[in-house]
Amino acid sequence: MKIDCTIDGKTLTLSLNSDKPLSLILRENMGEEGSVNHCSGAMCGLCAVLVDGKAMLSCMVPAFEIRGKTVVTFESFRRTRGMRDIEKAYESVGAYPCPDCYASRTIIFESLIDEAITDKEQILRELAMVRCPCMDPEDEIMIVQRGIELRRKRNVRRSQLP
Amino acid sequence: MYEGLSSPNIHTPANLSEYASIILHYPASSLWAGGTFIMSRPDSYPSRRMNAEIIYLGEIEELHRFQRNDRFAEFGAMVTLDEILNTGKAVLPKVLIENIESIGSRLITRRATIGGTICTEGFTTSFPGTLIALDAMAEVRFIKKKRLHSRWMQLTRLLDRNGRIMLPPQGMISRVRIAFTEKNCQYFTRIGSFMLEPDEAVSAAFTGTLDQDILLNPRISFTYPSIGICYSRDIDNIFSSLRFPLDETELGNLEGMVFTFIDSFFQGLSELQKVRTAGILRSIIEDLNVRALTLPSDEA
Ligand SMILES: Cc1cc2nc3c(=O)[nH]c(=O)nc-3n(C[C@H](O)[C@H](O)[C@H](O)COP(=O)(O)OP(=O)(O)OC[C@H]3O[C@@H](n4cnc5c(N)ncnc54)[C@H](O)[C@@H]3O)c2cc1C
Ligand code: FES
Repeated sequence: MKIDCTIDGKTLTLSLNSDKPLSLILRENMGEEGSVNHCSGAMCGLCAVLVDGKAMLSCMVPAFEIRGKTVVTFESFRRTRGMRDIEKAYESVGAYPCPDCYASRTIIFESLIDEAITDKEQILRELAMVRCPCMDPEDEIMIVQRGIELRRKRNVRRSQLP
Repeated sequence: MYEGLSSPNIHTPANLSEYASIILHYPASSLWAGGTFIMSRPDSYPSRRMNAEIIYLGEIEELHRFQRNDRFAEFGAMVTLDEILNTGKAVLPKVLIENIESIGSRLITRRATIGGTICTEGFTTSFPGTLIALDAMAEVRFIKKKRLHSRWMQLTRLLDRNGRIMLPPQGMISRVRIAFTEKNCQYFTRIGSFMLEPDEAVSAAFTGTLDQDILLNPRISFTYPSIGICYSRDIDNIFSSLRFPLDETELGNLEGMVFTFIDSFFQGLSELQKVRTAGILRSIIEDLNVRALTLPSDEA
């Protein structure tokens, strides 16, 4: 099946099995083994990407559903201003995800910050999808709160530019 | 990898009449809703079982509709659990909301659909048990004499003898209707992970109205993901016959009676599931006891 989509800024036409999971497309067709996992149902939560701006587990998105969609993986997200907000939030809280879950957890942080989610239970529910136990829940909440603050300030500065 | 193996054909009907003509042409097609269950199976890709025709329900506009009046809410089968939370948190029954929240992240609830939660094959999610405790109805579409028919059925009518939801061959759920309930006691509890430990997890949904010291119209269901749903009018009747608060002996008797029914339904429960079921039952009764003792006199 021919699939037109945009992955990390590249407009592509891929020839794929229609039910191939996006996680495998990214790993096998795009060479992103480092930032996207494929655990075959073990529910690791280490495969989050942004599809049309929304965080999704890429192992649960079949090829036929990415037709016409824009996929952003950690590999391109890490070079954005959004990533800088999150790095600053990590720094100011003094807590960082471990290398194993850094990519996926950062993408989920981004979706929470982008939607300005402040409800603590919801923040923890979303991040609990990543089963790696490396982060303290209180730190996770503070990172989201700090990230939202930084994002707001940056947006205000940008809107004040002539 | 595996490119070149046969790639399933994806049919994307835009309405139910297109769906009917596709299913008539390809009666062995698999239905695909949010895909969260299908894709979380270890053998989902490349699947030898997955047949060559997939009908993706996401483009059928009718299945995304949501409507409500003062008596009930009606959801198209493709309404996601997240959309249910967003549209109805203030009006929908507490058990339903708690059930959705127990599933957790929106990474799942944004994709999982109400139709998909009911129809998972060989596995039972916690959702149909909750819908049964709410006496919900489902609109089932099925092919008969080469035409698509529909029938509203109580969810309990879709349960087979083994506690699994069974649809007619080539059947599909198109809508689910949930009545707004005034019941003042509603509990949803899940212990253990349905996906990671399906042989040990259990959930229960309970609804009823505590009026003075008795329960009116109680309904309780227990769900064991790899086994099925235990629901019986007989268990509801036992609850109706109780006078609250229950003392330790009465609670022990109730536990014995409920387990007699559960054991007659299912032989394969693990020891941990039994302990967890007893724990859930106890916590429901303890809460009902407290409420019976503390309800204001005009309510109690
Ligand atoms: C990480 C994770 C955590 C989860 N946690 C929980 C949990 O805590 N508790 C719990 O109960 N569940 C849990 N689940 C399971 C979840 O509830 C199901 O995956 C989901 O409900 C399936 O919905 P779907 O729309 O994605 O269905 P799909 O995966 O698309 O389909 C599921 C099945 O239903 C059939 N189907 C779909 N729609 C219809 C229809 N309208 N008519 C007839 N057949 C249909 C399909 O053919 C398929 O066989 C979890 C799942 C994941 C991935
Ligand atoms: S790869 Fe493990 S949940 Fe997606």
